[in-house]
Amino acid sequence: MRLARALFIGYLALIVLVLAAIFVIGALAR
Amino acid sequence: MRQIRDNSLSIAFGLLLLITLAAQSIVGLADYNSSARTDGLAEIDWWRYITSSSFAVDVAENWQSEYLQFTLYILLTVWLVQRGSSESKPPGEGGLESDREQRMGAFAEPESPAPVRAGGWWSGIYSASLTTVMAGIFLLSWAAQGVAGRVAFNEGRLRDQLDPLSLGGYLTSPDFWVRTLQNWQSELLAVGSMAIFAVFLRQRGSPESKEVGAPHSETPPP
Repeated sequence: MRLARALFIGYLALIVLVLAAIFVIGALAR
Repeated sequence: MRQIRDNSLSIAFGLLLLITLAAQSIVGLADYNSSARTDGLAEIDWWRYITSSSFAVDVAENWQSEYLQFTLYILLTVWLVQRGSSESKPPGEGGLESDREQRMGAFAEPESPAPVRAGGWWSGIYSASLTTVMAGIFLLSWAAQGVAGRVAFNEGRLRDQLDPLSLGGYLTSPDFWVRTLQNWQSELLAVGSMAIFAVFLRQRGSPESKEVGAPHSETPPP
């Protein structure tokens, strides 16, 4: 289950980081 | 090795995602710069492109529709059925089901997830956690599409010497809604057709399909 947990966190982190980056890009009006 | 094999589905899709996202950024940059050349504007480099609102809105609009699709599918299949479909519960079994069937409340087991063993509010929240997270990603992606889409759209308006739109103005604009609806319709078509195709068509060995010899009318228990 260790790798499964790492994948779970990895997918969630990727989604959160990309969405956060998009909001920053929008806020900076790039 | 066993770890990798046990998680091969998530690993394979994760790798395919990274490859596809990288490819999208490369051909997207080529497309962006080709338009820039035609319009007599300066070309941009790869980093500038992947941090641009143009790339961001393209990513967000596709993400939101995928998460909407799965959210709707997870939620609607609780109550709605398609007789004969491997994607559906058998007719008559629609609903949230009993605590016994769901192995929660008084029927929680020693190996059940911690919130289920804790019971009460924790158990209630955990019992809808998949839908909550998928719906949350949908709403955040959709909002991100609005925020980035507005900036990308205003770039074009400024080139045409038009006033930029406010966020409220953009969220009620045809550009926002055409980007939204063109993705929603394709997801709904794919899900609806999958539900009914799975009644009559088969893929040997796939858990998404009934057994090849299963009768059309048989709805396999989940």
